[in-house]
Amino acid sequence: MSLLEFARGPAIHAALIIMAAGIALRLIGVLVLTRGADLSRPRDAFGNFKGYRTVFSRAWPSGEFTTTTRYQTVVAYLFHIATLLVVLGIVPHIEFITSLTGLSWPALPNFLGVALGTLALASLLALIGRRLAKPAVYNSTLGDYVTWVIVALPLLTGLMAFAHVGPRYETMLALHILSSALLFAYMPFSKLMHAFWFIFSRAQSGLAYAHKGVRI
Amino acid sequence: MPNEPTLGGLLRSQGVSRRAFLKFCSTTASLMALPAGIAPAMAEALSSARRPSVIWLSFQECTGCTEALTRSSAPSIESLMFNFISLDYHHTLQAASGDAAEHAREQAQHDNAGKYLVLVDGSIPLDEHCSTVAGISNLAMLKEACAHAAAVINIGTCSAYGGIPMAKPNPTRAVAVGDIIKDKPIVNVPGCPPMPLAITGVIAQYLTLGRLPELDHLGRPVAFFGENIHDRCYRRPFYDRGEFAETFDDEGARKGWCLYKLGCKAPIAYNACAHIKWNNGVSFPIQSGHGCIGCSEPRFWDMGGIYDSVAKGNFGDGAKLGAAAMAGAAVGAGAAVLARRKKTRVAEEMHGSE
Amino acid sequence: MSIANATTTAPAAATAAATPIFPSFEQVYQGLAGQIGMLRQMAPKPTKTDEKRLQGAIDTLIEETNADEAVWLESCIHCGQCTNACHYFQATGEAKYAPMRKMDLYRRVYQLEISPMRWWHRLIMKPVKLQDFADASELIYDSCSECGRCTMVCPMGIDTASLVHHMRSAMVAAELVPPELAALRMEQKQMGTVFGSSPEALKKLVETIREQAGVEIPLDKDQAEVMVLSSAVDLVANGNGLLATAKIMNHLGIDWTLRSDGFESANFGLLSGDMSLWKQQADPIIAAAQKVGAKTLVIAECGHAYPALRWNPMVSGGELPFEMMYMSEFLGKQAKAGKLHLTPFEGKVTFHDPCKTGRRGGAFDEPRAVLAEMDADLVEMPANKEYNWCCGGGAGIFLLEDATRLRDESFKIKMREVNESGAESVVVSCASCRLNFESGRQKNHWDKKVHSLVELVADHLIDDPASLPSSNRQAAGEAQGARP
Repeated sequence: MSLLEFARGPAIHAALIIMAAGIALRLIGVLVLTRGADLSRPRDAFGNFKGYRTVFSRAWPSGEFTTTTRYQTVVAYLFHIATLLVVLGIVPHIEFITSLTGLSWPALPNFLGVALGTLALASLLALIGRRLAKPAVYNSTLGDYVTWVIVALPLLTGLMAFAHVGPRYETMLALHILSSALLFAYMPFSKLMHAFWFIFSRAQSGLAYAHKGVRI
Repeated sequence: MPNEPTLGGLLRSQGVSRRAFLKFCSTTASLMALPAGIAPAMAEALSSARRPSVIWLSFQECTGCTEALTRSSAPSIESLMFNFISLDYHHTLQAASGDAAEHAREQAQHDNAGKYLVLVDGSIPLDEHCSTVAGISNLAMLKEACAHAAAVINIGTCSAYGGIPMAKPNPTRAVAVGDIIKDKPIVNVPGCPPMPLAITGVIAQYLTLGRLPELDHLGRPVAFFGENIHDRCYRRPFYDRGEFAETFDDEGARKGWCLYKLGCKAPIAYNACAHIKWNNGVSFPIQSGHGCIGCSEPRFWDMGGIYDSVAKGNFGDGAKLGAAAMAGAAVGAGAAVLARRKKTRVAEEMHGSE
Repeated sequence: MSIANATTTAPAAATAAATPIFPSFEQVYQGLAGQIGMLRQMAPKPTKTDEKRLQGAIDTLIEETNADEAVWLESCIHCGQCTNACHYFQATGEAKYAPMRKMDLYRRVYQLEISPMRWWHRLIMKPVKLQDFADASELIYDSCSECGRCTMVCPMGIDTASLVHHMRSAMVAAELVPPELAALRMEQKQMGTVFGSSPEALKKLVETIREQAGVEIPLDKDQAEVMVLSSAVDLVANGNGLLATAKIMNHLGIDWTLRSDGFESANFGLLSGDMSLWKQQADPIIAAAQKVGAKTLVIAECGHAYPALRWNPMVSGGELPFEMMYMSEFLGKQAKAGKLHLTPFEGKVTFHDPCKTGRRGGAFDEPRAVLAEMDADLVEMPANKEYNWCCGGGAGIFLLEDATRLRDESFKIKMREVNESGAESVVVSCASCRLNFESGRQKNHWDKKVHSLVELVADHLIDDPASLPSSNRQAAGEAQGARP
């Protein structure tokens, strides 16, 4: 079995199985816990539902924090958008998703894929640079660095494979798939789960504050 | 066949000019990545070379490789070259049959011990009864023929890597030559079929320089298999622009756009198809509108459907993912229920003690 | 440990307006500051074994962790944004005060005990030790006023303040509450009082106010529309607070009462993290309000009393026959209804929203409506309302000696904010904030004036029979009756 066959076959399959099971386990294992009851009378009888706004409104820092969070926000947005576009936008990825789900959509031209991949990698470097430069602000743990590496690897290998640079394409492709498999398998057990938690976390706080008539 | 002619004499008798022969030599030399100045020397050596003895063994195969070499649309120098060697045993082509044929093989092995080449097409079943020639199992015949060979050249993917006979579920337990023969130099010329020029190129270099060509990590001559078809494909610009044929009869297909989405395996296939092409440089599969199936790669038959693009995972459907999610959810729910019970128990204990 | 004996034994002064009956707030702060120093010696010593203390802390967290807390603990990505919001971090720049770290120990307990991955975490993580809780005390008490400002910037919206609050509950079980809070908690738990205040002290103060200021306080009425709370700070130190409250209530002609069986706003159950004491303190107040048939319960200017009562998650507020509101809310509603008429306030003024009534309480508009009633030139601080910077003294931190540096440094942010607003004076509506402002004002020789909202309103009432001395009370009573 060649590296590529291993990557495209058992490796990615096992990683997806771990990811599916892990995400379900962690989401259900937390969300099925007891619900606390706040018996106090809400400020506005029907105002609590307004708290759900926070899920969306927190997508951008409020004016109060615009200046202090500008670097982190802008770079993080660049990273997330570029990564999302690359993950969902280039032909090989769409082909992979189609083979799993049957869904497909038009792809971005390759030069855009390369540009976005480069942007994603550059923004990730910008983020780790700041994390390293300001240890007091970030309080980084080993997990933060491991996560960074695991996120950076598929971007780097993908970019190299996509642009046909470096080792032979099938090796690069295999490394890309393997690093993605690592990311998939790692995802449910790391802070990358924030991809799901952010909705619940924001909504909870939004509701708790809306209960008191405060919009956050 | 005339006894002991030289290749030069043979070609002249077939009406091939010296000019054409030189051209073949320089083409071969350049393809094999040999120095350009070697072409005249090569022509000289080939012209005066004596017929080497070749034993061609056909095992679990379809004869496609032989066909590719012998049934070119016009008589090519490659096929003449093929005529030049002393093909002492080839059970498809030789006139002799039965004991006479086997005797010819044994005779050649005996007479040219240590000097003859073994060319193999077809894979070898470890379940020996599955394929026999004259009552001799493929495995036994291979071992016997190779015992005193100078080198082994695998013609086609079956002998090089097992090919289609080895495809899942591999009912005959087929293996490649290299899995059995460990003590002889082996050159793989894979392809289904391989390019005729690749076969003759290897033989020409062996005859002229007395050595086998440089090989890649899969035992293939770098000169022919060193380049990625995708990198050499004339449709590559469409790939880069993101212009793909989605079906075999859409506008993209008619315009000759990239066949990546239709399962073209060019990005992971190494062969000379895209630049040497087939049928005297007329065309090759991608040019004719069908994606490469990666036939020169090991286990190409098992690497996903030929119409599945290389990006697709090769693990069947996603049914197990759904099952895994269900299992994960069940475990998660169980863990949460246990945590809730623990919480209730802890609360009772704490308030009981107060 | 009464610190207000001087006030209750003050010589009677017939002309209240000329000679102050009660000490100025400057003196109140100085007296109280001395008292706080003594709290440390009065702190109870741990009574349980270390194992029981640790188990108690862990069990408390298990009991208090619901899905919400679990999600918040799971959500942190160490993006560091919360450091921008936290006054303690901004004042010191020290990594350990980053809000995200205040939930680290809680998360460890969660991961080991509740998380769906707990069996895995038990393999790879060390068990939590009592020392871990002891080490976390600085993060849970000294450097977190539970002001919730970090929630405003957190991209995940994590409610760090509520997580810190659960940690405080665990610290109670671990007997690791800082000595000052532990002493007050024990006093309130065992005697139902803080700082030596008591129903008797309340009666004395009511007497003093009637005799010396000529202001009637209807103590322990059987029936009243409005029940008003007081607080230990008023009783033992700042009599002006209750005096001002009484003046306003009488001025408005409201049918009100103060009950000696439920007057204490301060709740050291909430501040220390003792949920049962929290409830134990809230229950008699609720019962008293129900007994007198109150329609409104007015909580004195004591910031944490607002969440302790109004937002008490253990009290089914919707089923109560009365509304609970903070003093500033009550005054604001009166002003909005056009019932409160005030003389103009001179000079630029800014309003400091206490964390507990502002960001974590929602009473933003009402205090501003009161200031508007005075035609005050209200200027806002650069960060205001939901984004207001905590003064640094909330959630009991004003009382903690160990937090002095953090408190003083972070107050400089508050000073900068006020200075930038251009205001000459600051109005606060929370005894803790006011004490901390007073402390910062004195230490920094700051030139701003600090007012309490309720006292400011009392000083700006447009003269009315209701606020006249006792000799005219008869007339005042008639006027009261004439009001709608």
